[in-house]
Amino acid sequence: MNSYHSRSLCHAALRTAACATLTLSLAAFPGGEPPTAGMPGAAGLALVARKALVMPFEGPQVVDNAVVLVRDGRIEAVGPRSATQIPAGYEVRDLGARWVMPGMIDLHSHIGGTFDINDMVYLTNPELRVQASVVPDNPDLQRAIAGGVTTILYIPGSGTNSGGQGILMKTAPGKFEEIAVDVPGSLKVAQWGNPERWAIGVGKTIENYHLRTMFKRGLAYAEAWRDWEAGKGPKPEKDIQWELFRELASQEVEISVHTQVYQVVLMTITMIKGEFGLNVFTDHSEIGGWAAAPVATQMKVPAIIGPRSIDTSRMGSWVGALPTFDRVQGLAAGWQEGGQPLIGFNTDAPVLPEEELSLQSALGVRYGMQIRNVDNVRGLTIVPAVVGGISDRLGSLEPGKQADIVVLTGDPSDPRTAVDCVYVEGRVAYDAVHGTRRF
Amino acid sequence: MLPALMLALLASSPLGGGEQDAATPRAGEVGGPGLALIAAKILSATLDGRGVVDNAVLLVRDGRIEALGPRRSTEIPAGYEVVDLGARWLMPGMIDLHTHIGGTGDINDMVYQTNEGLRVSTAVVPHNPAIEKDVQAGITTILFIPGSGTNIGGQGILLKTGLDTFEQMRLRDPGSLKIAQGDNPTRWGYGMGRAMMNFHIRTAVRKGLAHARARIQEDDGRPRDTVDIQYEVFEALVDGSTQVSTHTQVYQLVMNTIRILKGELGIDVYIDHGEWAAHKLAPFAQRMGVAAICGPRIIDTFESPRSDTDGAILSVPGEYKRKGLERVGFNTDAPVVPGEELPLQAAMGVRYGFDASHMDHLRGLTIVPALVAGIADRVGSLEPGKDADVIVLSGDPADPRHGIERVYIEGQLVYRAPDGTEGPRLW
Repeated sequence: MNSYHSRSLCHAALRTAACATLTLSLAAFPGGEPPTAGMPGAAGLALVARKALVMPFEGPQVVDNAVVLVRDGRIEAVGPRSATQIPAGYEVRDLGARWVMPGMIDLHSHIGGTFDINDMVYLTNPELRVQASVVPDNPDLQRAIAGGVTTILYIPGSGTNSGGQGILMKTAPGKFEEIAVDVPGSLKVAQWGNPERWAIGVGKTIENYHLRTMFKRGLAYAEAWRDWEAGKGPKPEKDIQWELFRELASQEVEISVHTQVYQVVLMTITMIKGEFGLNVFTDHSEIGGWAAAPVATQMKVPAIIGPRSIDTSRMGSWVGALPTFDRVQGLAAGWQEGGQPLIGFNTDAPVLPEEELSLQSALGVRYGMQIRNVDNVRGLTIVPAVVGGISDRLGSLEPGKQADIVVLTGDPSDPRTAVDCVYVEGRVAYDAVHGTRRF
Repeated sequence: MLPALMLALLASSPLGGGEQDAATPRAGEVGGPGLALIAAKILSATLDGRGVVDNAVLLVRDGRIEALGPRRSTEIPAGYEVVDLGARWLMPGMIDLHTHIGGTGDINDMVYQTNEGLRVSTAVVPHNPAIEKDVQAGITTILFIPGSGTNIGGQGILLKTGLDTFEQMRLRDPGSLKIAQGDNPTRWGYGMGRAMMNFHIRTAVRKGLAHARARIQEDDGRPRDTVDIQYEVFEALVDGSTQVSTHTQVYQLVMNTIRILKGELGIDVYIDHGEWAAHKLAPFAQRMGVAAICGPRIIDTFESPRSDTDGAILSVPGEYKRKGLERVGFNTDAPVVPGEELPLQAAMGVRYGFDASHMDHLRGLTIVPALVAGIADRVGSLEPGKDADVIVLSGDPADPRHGIERVYIEGQLVYRAPDGTEGPRLW
C-alpha cells in the first residue's frame, strides 16, 4: 500500500509519534469502530501542539505551545500549555512540532455529490435544491478532507441566473443527516458570465430584469406570510417555488453570487444588498471586481475569492472596463487595498481540486495580500464561517464549537505543509499515518 | 514600454548610479567594474554538495560569476561596487524547459505529421508581456518549443528572457527537437493512433540520422552539393549539441521514449510531461540516462483512469525521484500554467511528496534543467565562470509567500521590484 511518502525522516518520525495513541486504541476494538477520545460519549482528548491557530473573529489569533481540550465532539478549552490544566482521565496526544487549526471552509464547491446540479429549466430556478444530489464520502470529498477542508457549501452551477439552493455540509464520511450543517445553505445567484448560455440573446440587461423580478416576487411572497403571521392578512397559499424567500427575508440564509467584473459586482451590491436588503456575499469576485471594494465595504458585502487568484492584463479584452495595468493583479490584494475586511477563499471545486483550498490563500499572499492579522488563515476559517452564517458552530477553535481540527506540519499557506490528521466533531475523519495518506 | 520601465527603475536605483549615461556599463556588466552581492544565504544549486552558503558574498565581473564564498573568507577586490542585500537570499536564475511564450503563438503548424525542419526561432518577440512576467518571477532561461499538434513540431530555441534583442536572448538554437509521442498528434488526421504515430516518428528520425551521419562523413571542407534543411537539425543531434524534448506521458508512451528514442536510435532525450503512472519507469529511465522534466500536471490522482495511485494523490516528480531517477526537474508548459508560476510547480511537487530535504526542488528549477539541456557550462548554478544570472529573493522560492526582489542576467539588472512606495509591484 502506498501509505505515505517520506518527505523527510523527521516528518515521518513526528507523524508516527502523533498517531501512536490512535493505533493502540484501534487495536483494542478489532471488530468495529472504537469510541475514541474526544468523540461524544468517550473520554476527553487533549491535543498538545507547537502552535494553535485559534482564529476567533476578534482577539488574539494564535497560541504558541498550546493545549486544545476536546470533549463530546466539541472544543472545551484552548490555551497555553503552561496555563491550561488537562483534567484527569483525558487522553493526551502530544503532536510535537505540529500545528492545529480549525477545519477549513470552502463556500464555493460543486463536489458534494453528483454533478446534475445545473438544471437550466428557467432563467431563474430558486426552488431547485442540490441536497437531492449529495453523495457522502465520494472521491472528491475524500480529497477535500485530505487537504483539511471539513465544510463546504455545495451549490448549483451557474448556467442560469439562479441555479437553486446550496447546502452547507461536512466532507467527512457519514449519513446525510450527520453531515448536513445548514439546509438550505444559500441561494445561488449567477449574475453574468455563464447564464448567457441559457438562450441566444440573453445579456446583462435581461438577466438583471429576470433577477429583479425573482427577488421582488419572492420577497412579496415572504411578506404575505409575515403579514399573516402578524394577523394582518389572509393565509397565503404555500408555493415551494418561493418558500426559500421567507428564510432569505428573515436573514437566516445568505445569497452566494457568481459575480465578477466591476459593473456586475457593483450590481450585486447595489441590487441584492442595497435595493432588497438581503444577506449576500460575492463569490468569484474576479476580473476587476475588486474595484468595487470600497462600495462593498461600505455596504458590508463580504468577498469570497476564487477560483482565479489573479487578474492579468489580457482580461481587459473580455470586459472592456477593466483598469489597465502591466502586471499581475492579486485579487485578495485588490480587495484588501479597497478596504474589504471580510476576505475569504474558494476553489469552485472541481474547477480547482478541493484539497487546494489552502493554496488559494498562498496565491493570495504571493500576489500581494498583506498578512496583517493572519488574514491568510482567517480567509480559510473564521471569515467563511461568519459569511456562511455558521460561526456559532464552526470556523475557530473556541470553546463550545464543534471540534473540527486539522493537524498539520506548518502554516497552511505554505504548500509544503502536510496535513496529518483531521478531526470532525472529535472523530478522526482522516489519518494520514495509519490510513491511506492521500498526499 | 517595459524596457523604458527598466531604464526608469535603473535610473532610480542606488545600484545604477543614476547620473550615468545609460550606455556606460554598470557594475557587473561586461566592461563595467566588478560587483559584490552580499546576502544572508546563497543557494549555489550545485549538483553535488550542500549547495548553500550562509552569510555569503558573490563576486560578478564582466557578466560572469567570479567567485562565491563565505563573507569572512572572501575578499572583495578594490573598486568593486558592494551591494548589501541584508536578509535576502540569492540563487541562480530559474530555467523552464517547456514553454510556448517566447513570442507569437503560431508555433504549431500542422503541415505534415512530422515537421523537423520548422523552427520557432522565427516567432521570438523580446520583451513580450508573458516573457516579462517570467523575468519578474526569476525565470531567466526558457526553452521555447513548438506545440504538440504533430509528432514532430519542429525545433525549439533556448532563450535568455530579460535581454533586449534576439541575438542577445539566443542562448542556443536549435534548443531542442520537439517530439510529441501521443495524445495531441491524433488531431492531425482521422485514424491516427499510436502504432501509426510511432511509425512516423521512427521513419523521420531514422531518415534524419542517416542523412546527418552521411553529411558529417563527407564533410571535408568542400561545398556541399545537396541541401535538405528538413534534416539539418539531426546533425546537431548526432554531434550531441542539442537534445530531443518529448511530449510524452502514460506508461507505454514513456516506455517508447526511453526504449526507441534513446535505446534504439541513440538520441539524447528527456521526458517532458511524464505524468499518468509513467513514473513506474523511473528505474529504467535512470539506467538509460533519461531525465524527467515534470509539468504542467504535477500530480496523479486516484480518480483518473490513467493513474494507478492506490487511493493517494501522487507527486509525479516525487515518484520519479523516490523510484530512483536522479535528474528530475519542473516545467510549466506556459501558458498552460503561467510561466511565472514555475517555482510553484516545485512547491506543488513538494506538497504532494517530492523529497526536498536536500534542496533538490531548487536543483529541479536550476542545475538539473541546465544539465538536461546541455547548457550547464553557462547557467544553472552559481559557480565561477558561469553567466551571472542571479535572482534576489526573500526566501525559499518553493514558498509562494516569498517574492522576487531583483533579477540579474549576465550581470545586468533586468528587474528590480518596486519597494511598495514607488508604485505597485508585479504582485
